[in-house]
Amino acid sequence: MEDDPVDVLIIGAGASGAAVAWSLAETRMRIVCFEQGDWMNPSEYPSNQSNWESQSYGPYAINPNTRGRDTDYPINNEDSAVDVVNFNGVGGGTIMYAAHFPRLHPSDFRVKSLDGVADDWPISYDDLEPYFVQNDRMMGVSGLAGDPMYPPKQPPLPPIPLGLVGETVARGYDKLGWHWWPSDSAILSRPYEGRDECKNLSPCMTGCAQGAKASTDITYWPEAIRAGVELRTRHRVREITVNDDGMADGVIYYDEEGTERFQKAEVVILASNGVGTPRILLNSKSSQFPDGLANSSGLVGKNLMFHPIGFVQGVFEERLDSHKGPAGCCILSKEFYETDESRGFVRGYNMQITRGSGPLTTAAAGYRAGLIPWGRGHHEAFRKRFDHVAGIGVLCEDLPEEHNCVTLDPELVDSDGIPAPKISYTLSENSIRMLNHGLDRAEEVMEAAGAVEITRSGQLRESGWHLLGTARMGDDPETSVVNSWGRSHDVKNLFIVDGSVFVTSGGVNPTSTIQAIALHVADTMKKNLANLFD
Amino acid sequence: MTDDLITTDHPLNADQQAVLTALLDTLIPPSDDGLMPGAGSLDLVRHLREGGDNNEEMLVGLVDQFDAAFSTFDADARESAVQAFSTSQPELFEWLLMNTYMMYYKTDQVLEGIGMSAGPPFPRGNTIIDGDISSLDRVVERGKSYRPA
Ligand SMILES: Cc1cc2nc3c(=O)[nH]c(=O)nc-3n(C[C@H](O)[C@H](O)[C@H](O)COP(=O)(O)OP(=O)(O)OC[C@H]3O[C@@H](n4cnc5c(N)ncnc54)[C@H](O)[C@@H]3O)c2cc1C
Repeated sequence: MEDDPVDVLIIGAGASGAAVAWSLAETRMRIVCFEQGDWMNPSEYPSNQSNWESQSYGPYAINPNTRGRDTDYPINNEDSAVDVVNFNGVGGGTIMYAAHFPRLHPSDFRVKSLDGVADDWPISYDDLEPYFVQNDRMMGVSGLAGDPMYPPKQPPLPPIPLGLVGETVARGYDKLGWHWWPSDSAILSRPYEGRDECKNLSPCMTGCAQGAKASTDITYWPEAIRAGVELRTRHRVREITVNDDGMADGVIYYDEEGTERFQKAEVVILASNGVGTPRILLNSKSSQFPDGLANSSGLVGKNLMFHPIGFVQGVFEERLDSHKGPAGCCILSKEFYETDESRGFVRGYNMQITRGSGPLTTAAAGYRAGLIPWGRGHHEAFRKRFDHVAGIGVLCEDLPEEHNCVTLDPELVDSDGIPAPKISYTLSENSIRMLNHGLDRAEEVMEAAGAVEITRSGQLRESGWHLLGTARMGDDPETSVVNSWGRSHDVKNLFIVDGSVFVTSGGVNPTSTIQAIALHVADTMKKNLANLFD
Repeated sequence: MTDDLITTDHPLNADQQAVLTALLDTLIPPSDDGLMPGAGSLDLVRHLREGGDNNEEMLVGLVDQFDAAFSTFDADARESAVQAFSTSQPELFEWLLMNTYMMYYKTDQVLEGIGMSAGPPFPRGNTIIDGDISSLDRVVERGKSYRPA
């Protein structure tokens, strides 16, 4: 079956798909977005129900293999030290993200020139700066101006509360004389653009019932749709097709009933994330593109980067209200963000202060870590920790390595029979050293802050939330998949706007930068509409 | 709460229910100060049904692995029986423990006992302090600290 042709077809309605759709809407082209998942209904989010926390182990699990919704696709993580986590639906990963919203630093775009590793990006922080600002406004970012670790920036809203957790850990940084700053958060500290402010519910990662967290289903999408973009849910793309000239001419997809259909399009934009995008490209084989579409460099799916992460938790004598407030947004430290080779590794890491968990996770994780037993010691051990903890996540820059990759699994398929992605990933020696260094420093902070007990967990397995690098940008078609404005070197009407295009990962959560890139690509497309394919 | 267990379509007979109650109370006993109930006072079967977990047969099988007189054992004997079970059947034990925790930590009396408010987080919400940021003057005084690129 064939549908009416469209001018622009966007695949994926997540962080980047929403931003590019909104920006392109003003062109008045016929723009359609295909999203395999559903619209979310905030009144059904777990925080409306008493069993909110158990749902994070089932229908709202961050791991799609555990969640197993029919809108998800399975992922083979057997050859990976890290499991991919995501969400498939309108809003994509932003439905579940913690909304910690730092930007990459200027130096992150120049790692080859500065440190002699990996590659420089073909764009700079300054190129993206206007799009960071635009995106902060669209998402509604809370933060504090004046952080000397960044070029000047002015978040539209004041920072979200530090709470006792932030205040306590900040004391540790102060004692050590190290940098800290209130985090930029895509969470409203004040009512903004028809959305209400954060009520400190805490379970941000099972969807925000209050609508204070900026998921793109409630930020970009309503505006994009008002401006004429059409969003079709339960549309799962199997492959992008090409015409005799080697240009993309549409997609084969499965509709809600699982019927195979064809959608013709003048321009195709991939926004399916760092795993979903290479999966579609590798599955789009033809006689012209036998190794998958846009893959003359052989780099589609390669150089997967996640951000290795480990945690240190401090237990404090006083109550810290740890279960209240946005779990992943509080304060951060960039003390060890830039390279200092005397530390035994290149590049650096961000320290992200996290609040505590709810009671179920406190008990379950405490049991697994051997800290909270079942039986007669349960209540005492539980009371000592619950609401008395603060965490520091050490989030490390991951450098690109070709053997870390997404390929197509030869056997595993999704409910429509499309091959599932297979992840191969190991932590490099540099990452391991960096992570250990960070965990040591985090322990020092907790000690300085007055923690009475400190525990440390190394690389977390279920932490593949940042999916980057698998269709990198660059000027040279032999060493990159897309150019500096997301256009495929091989297929001139095919664009990529999601985290796949990252050349390096930086040492911070990437969504602010992913969306800034999507807006940059859209703007460059608009400026070049007359000769888009030259 | 225990009364709820005695329904016609209940998968456990009265003896099995006594074992289950004792088993749950072994996993989470009532607290000495009386603030926290024992897990045995809560309805695990209802919890499983609400969660759409159809493993009632598994529950029956699990309960049957314990001595019929388990509920008459003293606390030490019960704990060592459960300990032995957790080693011999780790997956089944983990399933029971997780479901016990899930049931327990959504119960209003328990939430209030640990200092939380009863009921779901939304629409109630929570209040937290803004926090003191005056020490940031020290950070600002360091001057521009990002690496030029
Ligand atoms: C638990 C969790 C916590 C996180 N916390 C943070 C954080 O604090 N800060 C931060 O910056 N980032 C965080 N992230 C990461 C953040 O969510 C992602 O960086 C961001 O969503 C990526 O944007 P994207 O546009 O690249 O892809 P996504 O937002 O993942 O969107 C991709 C969309 O494409 C759709 N899709 C894929 N394949 C197909 C297909 N074949 N057909 C049709 N549709 C398809 C998917 O269903 C999905 O909706 C977190 C993620 C998770 C899961």
